[in-house]
Amino acid sequence: MSMSGIPPAGDFSALAATTPAPDVAPPAGKIVSDRKQARRENWALIRRRPGFIIGSFISLVWIVCALGGSHITPDDPINDIFPTHLKPRVGHFFGTDKIGRDILSRVMAGARDVLIIAPLAAVIGVTLGTIVGLVMGYKRGLIDSILSRIVEAVLSLPVLLIALLALTTLGRSNTVVIVVVALLFTPVVARTVRAAVLAERDLDYVTSAKLRGESSSFIMFREILPNITGPIIVELTVRIGYAVFTVATLAFLGVGPKPPSPDWGLQISDEYTLVAAHIWWPTLFPALAIASLVIAVNLIADAVQSVLSA
Amino acid sequence: MSRYLLRRLALALITLWILATIVFVIVNVLPGNVGRAVQGPFASDQTVHDFNHKIGADRPLISQYITSMRHLVTLNFGKSYASDGSVTTLLRKALFRSGKLAFLALIITVPLGIIAGRFAAKRKDKFADRFIVMTGLATSSIPEFVTAAILQWIFCIELTWGHVLANPPDGTSVIGQLRYLLTPASAMVIVYFGYIARMTRAGVINALDADYSRTATMKGLSGRTVMRRHIMRNALGPTISVVGVQIGYLFGGIVGVEKIFNYHGLGLAMLDAIGAHDIPVLQAAVLSVGIVYMVATLLADLLIAYLNPRVLIEAKS
Repeated sequence: MSMSGIPPAGDFSALAATTPAPDVAPPAGKIVSDRKQARRENWALIRRRPGFIIGSFISLVWIVCALGGSHITPDDPINDIFPTHLKPRVGHFFGTDKIGRDILSRVMAGARDVLIIAPLAAVIGVTLGTIVGLVMGYKRGLIDSILSRIVEAVLSLPVLLIALLALTTLGRSNTVVIVVVALLFTPVVARTVRAAVLAERDLDYVTSAKLRGESSSFIMFREILPNITGPIIVELTVRIGYAVFTVATLAFLGVGPKPPSPDWGLQISDEYTLVAAHIWWPTLFPALAIASLVIAVNLIADAVQSVLSA
Repeated sequence: MSRYLLRRLALALITLWILATIVFVIVNVLPGNVGRAVQGPFASDQTVHDFNHKIGADRPLISQYITSMRHLVTLNFGKSYASDGSVTTLLRKALFRSGKLAFLALIITVPLGIIAGRFAAKRKDKFADRFIVMTGLATSSIPEFVTAAILQWIFCIELTWGHVLANPPDGTSVIGQLRYLLTPASAMVIVYFGYIARMTRAGVINALDADYSRTATMKGLSGRTVMRRHIMRNALGPTISVVGVQIGYLFGGIVGVEKIFNYHGLGLAMLDAIGAHDIPVLQAAVLSVGIVYMVATLLADLLIAYLNPRVLIEAKS
């Protein structure tokens, strides 16, 4: 899974339909416990998948690095200076960079920015997308047609290119990166949620809620939303993967964190031209760090997806 | 067929118009002073004011909007802030170079992805299948610039098979250019291969289960004929739409690859434009990719309709 916004394959409507509306309404307490049990069973299935275990382990290592920051790195990632461009050796397992900073320390500390920005952008994007998708799928009509065209238009461009344009006009800062990436994820999430809502909106439980005289917002958020959590959770895990991908690329292209931040993309951007002089370590280690994190997140997303949309 | 084509074309044009409007909003309506950004923090207010007047940033929004739509229709995107040259001339060469790189990546990725996907589908849930699916998932989740940096190090520096900088001198033969372009193209192949393989795999698995392939086998057609005439023809639909969509997305990933290999394509032109705050170039580059995407998806839809005429009937109803 990658690319600035290629939608995940698969149609989630079948999944949404697995919670059929019962002909005779059982007592409210029973539905809740069924749902809880289904959730517990799904979680048990996800937990057992090897992809999930490996992915979680790698992610956990990076989360520890991000939380620990300079407290757990061997040297200070910004202020400790050694001879420049030392090859990897005992004491500096990843070598030193062009200013003489320890690369292992910088790679460890570099997890922080991306692990704050990417999940936050994904969560905001999925929340907005869910709201928009619920409205589109439930209300239909003109508002759905107009929003569908806009969604279509935004999806016709790589997220990365619009993000570059927006960050250039708005100026670069972590907040702007979060907002821009979140807004660019909104349409694709909205499309997935809309499809799930379409499969639900004509089921009996929605009709009976309407007959009870419930408001649209009650039906959308209290009736339909709990029944489409599957595709939304899948979407969230997939989006976190894309967000890491996008944030790392934006940093490499020079519109992310500013020096002396130990951000991985920025480190590569600073030193990649030196690879031609056989100084490969300042580029290779942050590159492997990015690769390991995106693969880990995607392994988790894949496990979640194969259980929840089976 | 022609009605289907007209409908698809009209939809594509509407999408392009909305896209251009979104880009206009990002550039002109969001807060920010173009003159100040281009001239820098030390320019006098008068210089900034004059610059804004020269480029028309002080005109009412509606008149700026009309100008920008006229630019889109005529494909003449005005003048660059940085060089005073025509944006269209500047971008035409860059787009051609990026197109060359993207095309090379595509003609490697598509057959490779289809073959791998078909291979995996025939061995569903066996080791080879798992291996292809997991490899595809892993490689397609790594950003292009990371793959490009690692490939450059291995193939261009340690093994010296390719060139570190991907710009072939003028007049290099097609074969000679391959040595420059193959490594950057491989970075994109590695990233996009996974999707195509996965889509083909899903399509073939579906088609293998379908009644028509059983009928074809039972009426005595050879396995190869069933595969070619019945299964692949049906299974390739989703794959072709993914390829169509990816041609547009290739231009997103290409930015990072071009930076690593210092290849003077659209991506590098965009990065230069970002450095110089050259909004017209950036805006035109984004819209050109939008146009490329529209054309590619349109062609993909036509190809699908040609392979599987059922689509036309479904579109009518």
